[in-house]
Amino acid sequence: MGLVLVLLAISFMGLKLKLDRIQRKKVPGSSIIYIPSGKYLKLATFGYSSLVADIIYIWAIQYYSDQTIPNKFDYFVHIFSIISELDPKYVDPYEVGALIAFYDAKDIALALKILDLGFAKNPSYWIFPLEAGHYAQLYKKDFALAKEYFKKAMDIPGAPAIAKRLYANASFRVNDVRTAWETWLEVYKTAPDEQIRKIASNHLYRVKAAVDITTLEYGVAKFREKYGRNPLDLSQLIRAKILPLIPKDFDGKDYLYDPKVGDIKTQVVPWKR
Amino acid sequence: MHPPGPAGAIEVPSLLASRAKINDKIENTLGCQYNERRDMKNILAIENVRKSFKVGFIPQKKEILKGISFSVAEGEIFGYLGPNGAGKTTTLKCVLGLIYPDSGRIELVGRPHLDPRAKEEVGFLPENPYFYDYLTASEFLDFYAQLFQLKKDVRQERITALLKLVGVDRAADLQLRKFSRGMLQRVGLAQALINEPSLILLDEPLGGLDPLGRKEIRDIIIRLKDEGKTVFLSSHILQDIEMICDRVAIIVGGRILNQGKLTDLISEKILFTEVTISGIDEKDLAAFGESLSVLSGRTLLKIFDEKKIQDVFDLARNRKGKIHSLIPRTQTLEDLFVDTVKPK
Amino acid sequence: MKIRVIALNTFKEAVRDRILYLLLFFAAAAIILSRILALLTVGDRTKIIKDVGLASISFFGALMAILIGTGLVYKEIEKRTIFTLISKPIHRYEFLLGKFFGLILTLFIMLACMSVIFLALVFFHTFKIEWALLAAIVFNFLELILITAVAIFFSSFSTPILSSLFSLGFYLIGHFSWSLETLIKKIRPGVARTLIQVLYTILPDLENFNIKTEVVHGLPLPASLFLYSTAYGLIYAAFILALAVFIFQRRDFI
Repeated sequence: MGLVLVLLAISFMGLKLKLDRIQRKKVPGSSIIYIPSGKYLKLATFGYSSLVADIIYIWAIQYYSDQTIPNKFDYFVHIFSIISELDPKYVDPYEVGALIAFYDAKDIALALKILDLGFAKNPSYWIFPLEAGHYAQLYKKDFALAKEYFKKAMDIPGAPAIAKRLYANASFRVNDVRTAWETWLEVYKTAPDEQIRKIASNHLYRVKAAVDITTLEYGVAKFREKYGRNPLDLSQLIRAKILPLIPKDFDGKDYLYDPKVGDIKTQVVPWKR
Repeated sequence: MHPPGPAGAIEVPSLLASRAKINDKIENTLGCQYNERRDMKNILAIENVRKSFKVGFIPQKKEILKGISFSVAEGEIFGYLGPNGAGKTTTLKCVLGLIYPDSGRIELVGRPHLDPRAKEEVGFLPENPYFYDYLTASEFLDFYAQLFQLKKDVRQERITALLKLVGVDRAADLQLRKFSRGMLQRVGLAQALINEPSLILLDEPLGGLDPLGRKEIRDIIIRLKDEGKTVFLSSHILQDIEMICDRVAIIVGGRILNQGKLTDLISEKILFTEVTISGIDEKDLAAFGESLSVLSGRTLLKIFDEKKIQDVFDLARNRKGKIHSLIPRTQTLEDLFVDTVKPK
Repeated sequence: MKIRVIALNTFKEAVRDRILYLLLFFAAAAIILSRILALLTVGDRTKIIKDVGLASISFFGALMAILIGTGLVYKEIEKRTIFTLISKPIHRYEFLLGKFFGLILTLFIMLACMSVIFLALVFFHTFKIEWALLAAIVFNFLELILITAVAIFFSSFSTPILSSLFSLGFYLIGHFSWSLETLIKKIRPGVARTLIQVLYTILPDLENFNIKTEVVHGLPLPASLFLYSTAYGLIYAAFILALAVFIFQRRDFI
């Protein structure tokens, strides 16, 4: 009798190993894709929606780490919106979802979509627009978009001060010098410590320098137009009635002018002041 | 019994002194009217109670109690008899408020039967009792005692006494799941007595007990009567009823067909006498009575006419026969029962 | 008080029931194994542990209430122990209420055990005792009170299997009925809408007692929610019990 039991056990264990090796065609993401929407799933959870959200999230992590599944990103938004419906305040899925979208799918738009979803469900969480701004700025180099995101982030009470600075910086990068100047001025005035004040003043220097240099270059170009050569020094621009005055840099110092080439530079590197 | 003597007529004594004689004796000793119960209070009065149930998948009305009336006087042992399905248990359940009668009145200890205060003086032992098997015998009795709001020391006292009375004191701390049927019956009786009730209702209390057990319970019941309590027992073990009951009611098909004092219902008239004779031919005995059996030379003769008994004795003496036994048979409860229950 | 006598006896009976310990074991196992599940997640591990813990306590608590509750009254009728009981000076309602409170007491103790294990595990991870989690468990207990009332109700006239199914149905409907609110908004005013509105108010809304998500995310809860939910739970339970007493009172125990 004991022998019978042992033989039967060995045979079914062996068969199991054999079965595991047989490849069966898997429909990628088949278990999840047929659920119409998170709203309906929530009904079926009978009060355990956050737990189901957790489980789906954990499943999604394993699923998206599997490199062998083709076209797995087709249902990415669907899956993460289900998690969002079940537990909108669960922050990890949005953040990690965005990470996966960027690093795995190399799809920044998708990452931003996920972060937008998170922000829509949680308008008080500044982390989402802040991160979105980073993604836009760093990887997409889309400073206009970044600027929008940083604005959203900084307007939320409790947002870190850096949001404002990032906003100011992004504004500068899209040449919205007025906003950049005003914002950096605010930062400068409300700086809590010396370090921030120094950073702000560096940026203010830079903004002013940008504006001033543009003005001066315009003046030089106008001079060249009029007289066919570069002015010998900037004061000539005043005498030629092209500019009313020569602006000085933020520290009150003169800008450097090279008459041979005709370009204007700052005396110092802004952040080495 | 008197063996045949050498000369003179044999006086056939009434071997079983008639019940009337015994009763007279008791009457004289007690100095009270044993048979006169009419002016005693009724501890249980049932008036024209009807009850039907709807049975079957397509509910059809089945009438179980068709208007029964009887009463139990204080201090007596009352027997409630009937064939299976006659309505004995249904009657009891009506009395206890487990079932609500369709019509009729039930009065229990002088109160309307549904009044919980009436239950303070009542004890009940159901048929085939099944109790909380996770409790020990002591815990079990304590539970019911608490329902009567008895104080802890009173409870303790009574539990010990009752367990001893019913003979399960050695199993006091054993879980009921380990009890035998007979032990459960005894513990059940103990539970019925926990509140020192004045009326005890017992549904088939002697079933499942061995003869010794039955005697013990019978003795307890008689003792309860001596203490002035009333006992109502429903049973179909007629010998026991006959032995201890004062009054009976016979219920058949939901109707009380017969009720009254046992002594009134069962006549003491001798129905016939069974005589065992040897040494005389069966044919010769035929004139005197019915020959029931012949075994190893002994004839069992059933003689209806009392006068003929003397004749048989004379014959035996003349023919040198031998009389082995002489048993007069009066009506038993079984006879009455069978007569009542037999469809007319 | 006679209800107390029955309650304590019921407690003894429930506590000696093996099912209770089986379920407690599974609940404890689930809570502890959540630790392993938490390892699979990326991000906040404690959230997983809290979610699984609260869900286990909720689920197994409900299971205990239903499995034990549906047998309580039925067993007494089936095994005819009720005959002896009714022959004592006790009202039928005292019997029912005693059964109810006995089970409530049992569930309270079971819930306390599970809570201790749960809080200990959370402490192990966060190094603080998160008392806020108890709020969710207390609310869950309110839900259990209601479920117990329902289980006892069905137990007083139906077999344990049917009673369990009905009680489970009550539980599912209770977690479903919130969706009627969304439905109401989508239907035009009329007979159908009024009907659904009436249905919505009558049907149990067990989601009122579900504050698991809020507690895990540390969201603030208005004090009025506590007050009204408690009142709702207790009054609804009283209603169910009154219904049970009403039916039980009229019954013939054949």
